Parts: sequence; structure tokens; C-alpha cells
Amino acid sequence: MSAKNSPKIATFTSRPYNRAVHALAVILTVAVFPLIWVGGLVTTYDAGMAVPDWPGTYGWNMFAYPASTWLFGPFDLLVEHSHRLLGSLAGFLSIGLVIAAFRYDPRTWFHWWCVGVLVAVIAQGALGGARVVLDQRTFAMIHGCTGPLFFAIATATAVMSSRWWLSDVAQAVKGRPKLAWLASILVVGSYGQLILGAQLRHVTAAISHTTFMMFVHSHLTLAGLVMLLALCLAGFATFSREISERISRPAGLLAVIVLLQIGLGIGTWIVNYALPWSDANATVAGYTILSKGYWESLIVTAHMATGSLIISLATVVALRAWRVRLLIQ
Amino acid sequence: MNSSAPRPPTHFNDRRWACAIAWLIPCVICLSGCDVPIDAFEPNRLFAKRLELNERVELEQVRDDVQVILEELFGTPDSPRWPDFLTNDSAVKHLVSIERLQRAAGAVRSDEAGVHFGLYREHCILCHGIAGNGLGATSRLLNPYPRDFRLGKFKFKSTPIGSRPTRDDLARTLADGITGTSMPAFRLLTEEDLQALIDYVIYLSIRGEVERNLLLRATFDLDWDDDERLIDFSVRESDAEQFQTQWQEIVAIVSKVANNWGAANVAPLLNISRPTNLPIVGDEIQNTEEQQRLAESVVRGRTLFQGKVANCASCHGMAGAGDGVVNDYDDWTKDWTSNAGLDPSDKLQLKPMLELGALKPRHIQPRNLQRGIYRGGSRPEDLYLRIVRGIEGTPMPAAPMQPENPLGLSENDVWDLVNFLLNLPNQSHDADTVQGGSPS
Repeated sequence: MSAKNSPKIATFTSRPYNRAVHALAVILTVAVFPLIWVGGLVTTYDAGMAVPDWPGTYGWNMFAYPASTWLFGPFDLLVEHSHRLLGSLAGFLSIGLVIAAFRYDPRTWFHWWCVGVLVAVIAQGALGGARVVLDQRTFAMIHGCTGPLFFAIATATAVMSSRWWLSDVAQAVKGRPKLAWLASILVVGSYGQLILGAQLRHVTAAISHTTFMMFVHSHLTLAGLVMLLALCLAGFATFSREISERISRPAGLLAVIVLLQIGLGIGTWIVNYALPWSDANATVAGYTILSKGYWESLIVTAHMATGSLIISLATVVALRAWRVRLLIQ
Repeated sequence: MNSSAPRPPTHFNDRRWACAIAWLIPCVICLSGCDVPIDAFEPNRLFAKRLELNERVELEQVRDDVQVILEELFGTPDSPRWPDFLTNDSAVKHLVSIERLQRAAGAVRSDEAGVHFGLYREHCILCHGIAGNGLGATSRLLNPYPRDFRLGKFKFKSTPIGSRPTRDDLARTLADGITGTSMPAFRLLTEEDLQALIDYVIYLSIRGEVERNLLLRATFDLDWDDDERLIDFSVRESDAEQFQTQWQEIVAIVSKVANNWGAANVAPLLNISRPTNLPIVGDEIQNTEEQQRLAESVVRGRTLFQGKVANCASCHGMAGAGDGVVNDYDDWTKDWTSNAGLDPSDKLQLKPMLELGALKPRHIQPRNLQRGIYRGGSRPEDLYLRIVRGIEGTPMPAAPMQPENPLGLSENDVWDLVNFLLNLPNQSHDADTVQGGSPS
């Protein structure tokens, strides 16, 4: 919809857009997603202690570790060391982002936001290091929970440095005030869902079967709520003419990914534990779980990574919806 | 909402939300429980409670003594031990190696060569629990429940009911998994990893059986009026003779339990040879004569299946759909319910046991054989074993066999039954029309 036809036009002044800052934020976001995948593989293959020292790798400087052992050695070593290298890449990109922001972006708050991104990536690396040095699986779980949070922060940085964000948002029209809230609740809900999922994924022998069952039931209940929220959000965003495509498109994509995630969740349970009523279905009854099998590992890791993607996409929708709403006001 | 109306500042609300979320995340993480070190095995509270209920005694001191003895004999989850007297016993010295035990125990890690340690925690502990009691974190949601190793009973094995399984039996279950259940196939593990896990399962089973036997001995053999104890470590130096006497009683219990395992592993294996003159379903049929012999075998198998000797139909139903009348529980459930004088279907009676972590009893279900899915393996030899050996701990008995039982089944009868079972998924499943028919 063009600004001419809009009943209300935002009165914000355009701010200078800088391609370098935005490009770095986007590259950082794109780089974090495979980092999350490989981190997921570390957990799937129980490879967290495949390298017992940190920040070095078997006594080597992390970056000088022989590529032959890294790439052609044990699989556990490959995923753990790759995770560390990808984490370092995210760190370097964050440093570049801070420099670019201070140099090219006039927004003071954004400078400090980028510093926050750098602090977050350092903290995330330190958590990963603590998991190894202290050999504590609880740190692995916290590290696994804060990783998607960093992914969402990187995504938010990309959104807030985009041309669309910095323009007058001519598309901003009436909007739907509730949309921003709905999207925000979805961010919180999907993150809560990820935390519950992490409890199941990083479960230790120290918890009772009653506690585990409580987490399973909570995870299932929240999955239903998140799905409902995502479908409502997509419905509002898609069927309301007044809403910018910048919001409706990611909202629609988000709903599709949430539905995919539900399927991956069911798959994850089956490849981990089989269905509790397996006799009800001949296909499931005839399935034998293969421990650390290719498809089993892929499904479980994809479920974890898609959870991060949902949070990230929900962040995009929420930020854009809030931006439009605040401009209107 | 009217966008033109003046609105109060939203900063406060936003900040409140941010604070709430900032608190919520660490709270949920903390509530999930920290990585508590696994420094001891869980005691067998259910069995102790059963004895207390049956005998109306209080075993508090005994339970403490038993844990001290077990730690002295078997160490801890991080640092397992294998009693020296078993290492020196020729009948059982090959049963468990301390090196393999140490590989399977402890925290999960791997080295630069890709060798994995802490295998039990990596692959088994979440379902089977620290002590192998089948009460792991995930156990309540699984069907069937994970196996409790401490009774020394294993379902799928080549040895008779009442005997322990062989290492090969355990290796087959580990490598092939159990279809349709939560027990995965671990065939991607190295042979060394599998052998280490087998050692650890045997270790947990022996440890668990010793614990039960110590509790039994304390309950029935000790003179309570004289404050007699299983062992008193405080008199190890001051009254060495008494200590040695008590210790030798314990050694005898451990040796007896371990020897059961040793005997199963040195006994001659059941010879399973396919009959030369009878094709088996799945074999390549060469001519119509073989086809005819196979069809006749399937018909004979049906007659045996529905007959009184094999008596399969009473549980599995006339058509093998698993719809016979069975209102029973497995031995692992009976161990803490009916054996403790408790009705498994009475929740109120079971309350003290459920509070100790027992899992809600479930009726055992006869297999629906029409599906062609067999938990103990689907090779003809696996079915032969299930018929001849039964399934330990369940109502599935071993078939009476000739010549021990003149009225029992012959080997050829068993192969006829195997043919009937293997052909069952291809047949009409109407109970009245299950006539054997032509094998597909």
C-alpha cells in the first residue's frame, strides 16, 4: 500500500542507512544459524566433552589445530571443534559490527546495542567453555538456551539496521495494535518452549521420572499454545489489508515453520523413545530406533534448530510490528 | 484501540515485562535441577519396603548396612569395583573385566582417538536409571517400561527360564534393539563399546541381586533380638574373627549370584538347526512339492497353535491377534505388588510404593502376531527360541518339549509353529477362517 493512500503517515525523520552495518548484521545472523545446528549436533552425539580443554583444543591454539585431525578424525571431535570455530567466527563478526556501528551509524543507542551483541557472544562462548572446563551438563543446557537468544539478538540487529527500519516506514498505516503484542507474546512463548525443550534434551539422571513427565506435559501444552498464536498471528497479518507485507510475509512463513516444528517434535519423540502406544499403528510398531542413526540425529537436531528459527522469525515480526505501531502513535 | 486518543507512557509496562522475562528464564533453568553428581547408586527401596510390609519389620539399620557392603564390593557409579574373589574364581573371572567396567562407568567423554567413556550414562541411564532399576528419568512415559536389571531376569535369551542370559544374548538385544519399543539398536557402536556395556549391565544385575539377597538374609536369618547385623565394619580390626565370619557369608552370597551368570555362559548352547526336509517361510521354494510341504507345515502349525499342548491361543487368541484373555502383570511389577501382598489394581494399596518411585502397574499384553513384528527378533531361529525358551518374567511359558515331556512338542512341531507364525501376517485374519492356507 502506498503512503499516498494511507490515512495516517508517520512523521519520523529518515535516518541514514548504512549498507556495511546492515550487511555485517545480516552475515552475523546467517552465520549463527549453522553455529546453532552444529551446537545441536554436539548435544545429539554427546560430543560436548570430545575436546577436554578450553579455549585450546588438545593443547593447541584453537585456530592452529591440525585440519587433518579436525576434518578426518573422530566425528565427535569434528562437530565440537567446528562448533568452536563457528563460535569464533560469530565473535569476529560481532567485533566488526561494533566497529562499523560506531563509525557509520549515528544512533548512540545502537552503538551500545552492538556492544551488547559483542558482550553476549563473549558470554555465550564463556558458557560453552565453562561446560567443558567444569564438565557440567547444566552449563550445556544453559549454553543451549542462550544460543537461540543470541540468534534472536543478531536477528534484531539486522532488522534494526535495515533500510526499512530507518526509513519513514511509508507503509505504516493504521496497523493493528494487537499484532505487536501478539507477536511479542509469541517471542516469549516460543522461547519458553525452547527452554522446556532444553530440559528434555539435556535431561540428566539426577531428575526424577515425575519431573521429566512434568516437563513433557508442559512442552506439549506450550507447543499447542505457540501453534495457536502463530496461526492467529499469520491470520491477522495475512488477511488484513492494512498490514505491511514486511510483517505479513514473515508471519505467514512463521506459521508454516511452526507447523513443520510440530511434525519434527513428534518425529523427535518417536526416534528417541518410540510412541507409548506403538501397537496402535503397524508402521510405528515395526520401527526399531537406531541409536545415533543418521535420520534420528537429523530429526532431533532439526527440531532444536527450527525452535531457534521460530524465535528469530517471531522477533522479526514483533520488531516490525512495534516499529509500525510506535510510528503511528 | 483509538490511536488518536492520548495514551499513558508505555515504558513502565514494557520494563515490567522485560523484568518478568529476565527473571523467568533463570528461574526455569534453576528449577530444572543442577547437574547433581552421581556419587552413589540408589538403594532398592521397593524391595526393602516389600520385606517390611510382608514381615512387619523395620529395616532401617539393615538398609544402611547393605549400602555400605555394596559400596565396599562394587564401588560407586563413578568408580566401579569388581570383587577380587570373583576375579580369582575360574567360573566367573571372564564375566566382567574391570577395564571394560571403567570404560562404561563415569561421566560421558571421548578422547582424540574417538574412544568413548561413560557409555552407560551416554546410552542407557535415562531409561534404566543409575542402578539399573528401570526407574530412569524417562521411564514413566515409556511403554513397555525399561527393564530393571536387579532381578537378574532378561526377556530375550537362549537360556532356559530361571537361568541368566549369555553375553551373546545381551549383545544381540543391544545390537538389534527391540522393535516397537524405546530400546534402540546400538549397532553403530564399536564392538568394544558393546562389550563394555554388556559388562556394565551384568555388573548392575549382579550388584542388584546381591542387594536383594542381603536384604533377604538380614530379614530372615539374622537374630534381631541379639542385635545381629550383616556386618559391622567398626569391628574389622578389633574383632577380626567375627568380621571375617560375617564377610564370608557375604562372599558366599555374591559368589552364588555371580555363579548363576557364570553357569549360563559356560553351559552348552541350544542347538537350533533347521530341518533338512522342511522349508521355512521365507526360504526360496524350488518346486510344487516343497510348496505343498510348506503349506502342510503351516496347517500343522495352526493346529498346534490352537491346541492344548502349545496352548498359544489362550493368550494370543485363536487368530493370533493378541486378544486372548490375559489379566496378568510381568514379574517386575509383581515383585513389588502381589509379592508384597498388594493388589496391583488398587491405587490406595499401592500408594506407599508409588511414593517410593514405583511406576504405575500396567497389564501385560500378549503380542498381536498378525503384525509380523516380534520384539525378540523376527528370524525363524528367534521365533524358535521364543517358543522353546519362553519369555522370562512374563506369562509366556517355555513350550513343553520332547523327550523330557513325552506329550510335549517335537523339534519339527516347533518348526511347524514357526511356519504358521511367519505366515500369519499374510493370511486372512478372521478367526473362523484361519485355515493355514497357502504360504505366500
